[in-house]
Parts: sequence; structure tokens; C-alpha cells
Amino acid sequence: MKFFPFVWRNLLRNKLRSLLTGAAIALAIALVCILRTMPVGFDNFLNQLATNTRISIHNTAGIVYSMPYAYLARVKAVPGVVSAVSWTWFGGMVDKDKGVTFPNFAVDADTIGDVFADMKISPETLAHFRSHRDGVLVGRMTMKKYGWKPGDQITLVSNVWPLELSFTVSGEIPADQDPRLWLQREYFIQAMREKGVEFDQAGMIWARVDDPNRVPGVMSEVDTMFRNSDAETATETEKSFFQNFFGSLQGFVTIILIVTGLVTLCIVFIAANTASMAVRERLRELAVLKAIGFRWQLLFGTLVGEAALLSTAAGVAGALVSLGLTRLLGAAAGWNPQLGPLSGFVVTNAILVQALFLAFFIGILSGVVPSFGAARRSVASTLRDVF
Amino acid sequence: MIELRNVSRFYRRGADDVHALENVSLEIPAGRFVALMGPSGSGKSTLLNILAGLDRPSDGQVTVAGRKLNDLSEDEIAGFRAAHMGFVFQFFNLIPVFSARENVELPLLLTHLKKAERRERAETALRIVGLAERAGHMPAQMSGGEQQRVAIARAIVTDPEIVVGDEPTGDLDAKNAEEVLGLLRTLKQEFGKTVVIVTHDPRAERFVDEVFLLDKGVLQGSKPGGGAGGLAHAAVGARA
Repeated sequence: MKFFPFVWRNLLRNKLRSLLTGAAIALAIALVCILRTMPVGFDNFLNQLATNTRISIHNTAGIVYSMPYAYLARVKAVPGVVSAVSWTWFGGMVDKDKGVTFPNFAVDADTIGDVFADMKISPETLAHFRSHRDGVLVGRMTMKKYGWKPGDQITLVSNVWPLELSFTVSGEIPADQDPRLWLQREYFIQAMREKGVEFDQAGMIWARVDDPNRVPGVMSEVDTMFRNSDAETATETEKSFFQNFFGSLQGFVTIILIVTGLVTLCIVFIAANTASMAVRERLRELAVLKAIGFRWQLLFGTLVGEAALLSTAAGVAGALVSLGLTRLLGAAAGWNPQLGPLSGFVVTNAILVQALFLAFFIGILSGVVPSFGAARRSVASTLRDVF
Repeated sequence: MIELRNVSRFYRRGADDVHALENVSLEIPAGRFVALMGPSGSGKSTLLNILAGLDRPSDGQVTVAGRKLNDLSEDEIAGFRAAHMGFVFQFFNLIPVFSARENVELPLLLTHLKKAERRERAETALRIVGLAERAGHMPAQMSGGEQQRVAIARAIVTDPEIVVGDEPTGDLDAKNAEEVLGLLRTLKQEFGKTVVIVTHDPRAERFVDEVFLLDKGVLQGSKPGGGAGGLAHAAVGARA
């Protein structure tokens, strides 16, 4: 400890350089911390979206391929399935020029509330939806976006089917981040029939299982049931469905982790360069210290200690910045539903500890080479070269 | 006592061998103030480095304070220097972010002394060099002469038997140079230190007991200085 003031004061001898180097490391550590929240944040985001009892059943060829609507009744009959509902993409647009601005599906009015019971749609809203063929349930995000209220009349033009339908807003799906709109399948079928099309397909089926432990068995049974049919099914958990749906984001996360590594490497080089400059400027002093009896190991330790201290202190600052920033984003997500997913990106204690170790490691790594060279250099040759 | 026997030092510079010292033998009894003088490149700094344990001879034997330096490892020599040697250099080399007292305290960090004791000793050393009242000043707030006196305080704070100086007056004006030489003389006279300096400064001859003359790496002989109380024993390399 008696050498701590020695290390500390040397660190502060060029305040601007230490500050700039520290700022670079702090910024990098903050960046690393924020990037490190991505995989967990993405997982949290999926967990927010998904339950552990809901499963999705879709054509094994992909979600853009439909399957017979008759599958719904057979899925409902599988032991463990509490309820099931079919979904068919409607592709409705409020404004043709803007295209589809929120996902909208034709669903079975009688079971949608059971399968998505966790959405906590009010009984009055569900009752209105069931009793009005033109009723729609709209996610809060879309309700706010368009300023819709229950009872409002809206018109959607489909970009998939030859339909332009008017609806009455039954009420909202009470989730801040939910953009979806559900319309009655029956209304959709009748409209198609008027166009001369008998539509007996479903885009996909969502089913709710009574016990999370039974989910794997139910999934297996459903897929076995439709094996060797014209439309074989691929059943997956809701989380897995969203993971696949956001598959490109997973790749993005991988890229983020690679970038994190590269950022760290860059900072090691920057810090090593700074440490190298600091050591070079002090060769004369180091030679004198060695002359008066400081062993090379001690000098090496104090020089590396300087680099590690700067880096670790900067790491603490960077970690605190990232913590503050993610908390700010979390708070912003509370105020603005569109920022909702950001609340899942949290700098955890584990990330903080990793960041501090990383900062310490950067310091050590950047300090070792220049410090070793300077500390091992013979006093006589330094005196000869420098004086 | 410092004793060198047939000491030579060769450097390899490219394809050539540079003979910095050739077959130098000399004895400096304890409590003497001697100067190593000679033209640039004569090998006087090399000789100082070798007798101070900062460099190793290519050949020959170096004995200082009863220890054969040739036999010591690098770490042992560092420990030996810390215990027995004090150093003064031309460019002071005080650490700019430390006060005068903290600079003087530096060698004591290598001892087991407590902080209060270190502080007390540093203040005593500063008092000896006449800078007690400037203990809290930073090097940048001091003149060159004052900085060199702080460096001398740093050299003596561990109470070493030997103080060596490489051009200790080289960066000072005439007045400060005389003060520093006088101070080194005081170390010898009042504290019984053995003081060895390398210098170009002819004024030094008036303060030292003896001057050793080197040229082209060879010890040419010695002559008494103005402070001579007796003769050192010099042996010209060729004669030895």
C-alpha cells in the first residue's frame, strides 16, 4: 500500500492524457456493457412476448403456407390442450400508400380470449368482439398511434385478399407494446364468400396447454397427428416461434458480440500506446529509481499498476455510464410504449463484474509490454542513452 | 573502501569492440572525496557506473564496502545500492509530481520504516542540505541549484557510506555549482561519507581530496585536490 501514492501521483502527472485515455476506455467499457445487454435483453424481450404454455402450429413448409382449417378441431381434441385459435393473415392497410403498418389477423372470436388469456382483455371487450361480427380487438400501441377509441369505425384494405372491410373497434388489447389487430374469422370468411371464394384454410393455429410440463408432449402429438398429410405441421413454443421470426436479430446479436471483441482489442492498442508513451517519457526517472535501489520487479509492478488503475477506474466510470443509460432507456420505455422493448436491456451485476474484469485486463495487457521493457532495461545503458 | 582491480569494460558497437575502460586499478579509502576527470569519452562515467554497481565490468574485480560486486546477482546489487549508495545525477531527476520531501522519501520506501519515520528522516536530510523550509515545494517551484540539493538529500537520506555523482554540477551556474560542491564536501567532512564524482568542472579540484585522471579508458594517474588531507592510492592500469 505504501506504493499506492507513488502509482496514483504518477498517474496524474499528465492529467489531460490520463483523462483522454480514461475517457476512451470508459466509453469502450460503456459500449461493451450496453452491447452485452443485447443477448439477455433480446431473451427478455422474447420472454415478454411469449408464455410457456402457448404453442404455435404452422405448416412445416413455413408460416406463409396455410393448412386446413379442420386441423383446429383436431388440435383442440389433443389431451392437455385447453383451447386453440386459428390465425390468418389479413394484411389490412389503413393507408394503401403506407402499406401494412401493424400486423392484423382473422381469428376465431369464441376462443381468442381463452388462448390469449394472459393478455387480460376485459370481459366486456371480448363480449363486444364476440357479439359484433365486424368487431376488432386492437393493440394499445396501434390504438394510440391512430387515436382510435372503442366504437370507432375503421376501414382496412387487404393487400392479400380482394377485400375492403369496415370494422367497429370493440376495444383494446391492453399491452403497451402490442401493435396487433384481430378481426373475426367469420366476418372475413363471409366477405370472401361474397367474392365467390370458399376459404377453408388457416395460416396457423395457436393453442394453450394446461401445464408447461405437458407442452413437449402436446407438440409432439400434434406433429405426429398430421405427419404424412398434405400439410404437415411444425409445432413450436411461442418463444421459439418468435426467436425464429426474429431470426435476423440473432445474427445481429452475433455481430454485436464480434464488434464488442474488436472494440476491446482497439482499446488495448490505444491504452498500450499511451502506456508506452508514458514509460518512454520517464526512462530517465526509471533509471534513477533503479540506481537508488528499486528492483525491476517493483518498477514493473508500479508501471503495470498505473495502467491497471487507470483502466479499472475508467471501467468503473464506463460501467456506471452504461448502467445510467440503460436505466434511462428503461424509464423512457415507461413513458413511451414504442420504446417498450428497451426496458428489457438491463446492465446486470454479472455484466458489471465482467466489464470491470475486462477493464482491469485491458490495463494489465496494455501495461505489460512497455513496462517490462523499461523495467528490465539496464541502468547503465539507459543513463548512457538518455543523459 | 572502494577497490577496483584490473577492471576493463568493452562494448560491442556494430562490428567493433569499443574499449571504454582498460585494466583500471584504484583504491578509494572510506571517507574520501574524489573526482574522476578527463575529456569526453575517457571512460569516467563508465568507471563510476562500475564502482557504483550500475554496470558490470567485462573483466576485473570490484569490491565496495567489503562486498565483491561481481558475485552479486542483479537483485542483490539493487539491494546493495539501496543500502550503501546514494546517487546524484546531472539532471536532478526529481519526480515532478512529488514535493521535495516526497522525492527525498523515495529511497526510504524500500525500507521497513513507518511513514512518520520516513517523513522525519526526509526532513532531516533536507535540513542538512539547507532546504528544510522548502520541503513542501514541488520541483518546478525550485531553482536548479535547489533541485540538485534535494537530489543530494535524496542520496543521503538512507545514510549510505558512499555518495556518487555523475556531473552533479553540469547543469548549474557557477554559484550553485560551488554550493553543491561545498555540500558534497560537507558530507565527507561532517558525516564521513565517501564521495565520488565524475566532473568536467575544474572548480571541483578545489573541493575534492584527490582527482583521478582518465583518458581513452586508461587511468593516467591521480593528483591531490584542494581539499586533500592525504593521498588516495591510484595504480595506473598499465603498471598494475
